Amino acid sequence: MVLLNVDGVECRYGSVKVLEDVSLSVKGGDFVGILGPNGSGKTTLLKSISRILKPHKGTILLNETDIYSLKSVDVAKQLAVVPQETSIGFNFSALDIVLMGRNPHMKRFQMESEKDMAVARKVMNLTNIWHLAERPINELSGGEKQRVIIARALAQEPKILLLDEPLTHLDIMNQLEIMDLVKGLCVKEKLVVLAVFHDFNLAARYCNSAIMLKKGKIFAAGSLADVLTSENIKGVFNVDAIVKKHLVTNSIFVIPLSPQKASQSRKCSIHLICGAGTGTALMKVLLDEGYSVTAGVLNVLDTDFETAQFLKIPVTTEAPFSPITEKTHKANLAMISEASTVVLTAVPFGFGNLQNLEAALAAVERGIPTFVIEEVPIEKRDFTKGTAKALLAELKSKGAEFVKDQNELLSMLNVSVEKLKIAKAERDRFLAHLKPEEVSKETEIRGKGKKI
Amino acid sequence: MSTAEVESTFFRRTSRWKLIVLLLVLALIIAVIVSLNVGYAQIPFPDILSIIGKHIPFLGNFIDSSLISPQNAAIILQIRLPRILAGILVGAALAAAGVLYQGVFKNPMADSYVLGVSAGAAVGASLSILSGVGFVFFGLRLVQVAAFFGAISAMFLVYNISRVGSRVPVTTLLLCGIAVNFFLFAIVGLLEVIAGDELHAIVFWLVGGFSNVLWKDIWAVLPFIIIGVVAAYFYVRDLNLLAMGEETAHHLGVNVERAKQILLVLASLLTAAAVSICGLVGFVGLMIPHLTRVVIGPDHRILLPTSTIIGAIFLVICDDLARVVATPFVSTRELPVGIITMLFGAPFFIFLFKKKKQSYAA
Repeated sequence: MVLLNVDGVECRYGSVKVLEDVSLSVKGGDFVGILGPNGSGKTTLLKSISRILKPHKGTILLNETDIYSLKSVDVAKQLAVVPQETSIGFNFSALDIVLMGRNPHMKRFQMESEKDMAVARKVMNLTNIWHLAERPINELSGGEKQRVIIARALAQEPKILLLDEPLTHLDIMNQLEIMDLVKGLCVKEKLVVLAVFHDFNLAARYCNSAIMLKKGKIFAAGSLADVLTSENIKGVFNVDAIVKKHLVTNSIFVIPLSPQKASQSRKCSIHLICGAGTGTALMKVLLDEGYSVTAGVLNVLDTDFETAQFLKIPVTTEAPFSPITEKTHKANLAMISEASTVVLTAVPFGFGNLQNLEAALAAVERGIPTFVIEEVPIEKRDFTKGTAKALLAELKSKGAEFVKDQNELLSMLNVSVEKLKIAKAERDRFLAHLKPEEVSKETEIRGKGKKI
Repeated sequence: MSTAEVESTFFRRTSRWKLIVLLLVLALIIAVIVSLNVGYAQIPFPDILSIIGKHIPFLGNFIDSSLISPQNAAIILQIRLPRILAGILVGAALAAAGVLYQGVFKNPMADSYVLGVSAGAAVGASLSILSGVGFVFFGLRLVQVAAFFGAISAMFLVYNISRVGSRVPVTTLLLCGIAVNFFLFAIVGLLEVIAGDELHAIVFWLVGGFSNVLWKDIWAVLPFIIIGVVAAYFYVRDLNLLAMGEETAHHLGVNVERAKQILLVLASLLTAAAVSICGLVGFVGLMIPHLTRVVIGPDHRILLPTSTIIGAIFLVICDDLARVVATPFVSTRELPVGIITMLFGAPFFIFLFKKKKQSYAA
């Protein structure tokens, strides 16, 4: 049975539209996540459902009755709200506050009955705050206070619970405990939960459906897997994110990547020889630093291959779990010849990918600056009975730069980019020197030149 | 503490509340009896008892008052008793109004001044004093009627200025109230400047006092104050919920706008009734609810009745002091009670506040 039906709702603050044509319907046991960036209308949607902000257009039906035609008390028996923040004017005890949740069930001059106390005790035990019963609310910590507020909402014995970023002030353990509790009620007692989340992973873990708002409109709605995709996240939040299913929790998890830095393009391309995940972090970092990146040879399904796909990095690929063939090796060499620098990561070598090491050697021989990251000693990752070790030694003798980790690599790369700049400046100066009108500045230029 | 203990403590609260109210009523009765003894004329205590006793139905038949001088009887019945009753009524009304204002505004600084109610009364009273008309309205002096209507009109003015659509946000209410308050007191200032010989009367009214209280004044305000306090009691739980914030109160089933409207009208009615008989007595409305909250706790179900009674006791005692303290010094034989409430009440409050600051800080 549909419990709450929001149909074509439009809300405004003054003349500014904050919600437009929002519709959703929920039934008992639904746990709906409301996602969206700041100012997308998430809180406004909750406000219109909780009768704080009457919509200009559209209807909100609670059990098929217009919620705005009901009395406050009757709505409060069915719908409870946990706001973002509560400031409490006077210093009531935690128990007093939870018992206030019983207000809709009490008559005007009725005092709290044994039944009200039983409900309060139940929800306070659920939220693990019974031991705080007699403590004044303003002496509690943020997490404890929020539990009291949630207990008060539950004391209303609602059918629908609206949560507006209820976990903002809670640590991770508190977050999980509270959400597990709410989820439990949702499953067991068919409580409807509508919750605004900022954390995709919490949303993914608990919601079974979601709506994603963008500028007051529904951008995506439906099952969680349909809504929480990297395309939608990019479209609404303008953030790249990796969306995967976690093997342990079996829920979707989202890893947002920092927004692409608008760093100046260095017009310098780097070819990564990597594999087995050794190049994954480096790809993102180098892209952020403004280099253009290529990679190879990588087996399809290799971690580095998937990262490269995600980051749209050109790759020379080999079939899954297959040794590198002569053909792909050639393709890789072709790719290397177009790069201005080659980086070899601390990838383990077997006979299947030994050719990658030869490719690096070829790069050095062609005079392309080559860096070798030696985070893990070659002895530990050489599965070729010494062949790889020998090749690496040859690399060193032919002038490849060995660095110990990613940071050292980056600083070396910067230096080599600086060197390029200086070389270019020298050339420019030399050319300028030839121009007669520039002669007057010669001494000045020479002075500068000494400093370099 | 075990579950059972917590719950039994909680349920014992109701009986504890009843006990507190009973003790306070007892204290009020004692204060009244003591106050009957306070005054310029020395009247023996047994005489006072028999003068009062004579007028209690049934009991009066057994009391022989033939030996008591009619002059003393007149002092007790026509001067001291109405004064004490006025003290009770005004103290109760101002303290109850203070509880309502502070509850609605969720702000411990709120009192009858913030909505311009006191200022409205002051303008009404000053104008009527200046008019010099001894006009009597159903046996009441013009000053009283003018103060009452001045207060009520100021409240409606502020309320209507602050209205945004169908809502009256507390912040706008506070700001408009303060603005109107300043405006009206400016008018009072202007009237004082041009008052000439009447200045004394205006100044006296502005600090408040009970020197001219008559029985008919009591009868005139009694219904307003009883209705105000009783009606306010219907909304005590709503006041508790309003302390959670208006949105939360709304989510918990309170019709916030209507509750606010009714509570503000009641508070203003109580204030208007109180100031109409005694002028602007300060401090009671602001501090008594505070003081009671420090001792009793924030629950309005007990805060409202206890504040009301404590306000009554406080003002009766202050009026005693007003009569006694000044006798040797001042030609008028008494100080206006408004000076006493502030002069003695404020340091006492600060003392109490300092002691309990830890638990009181929000």
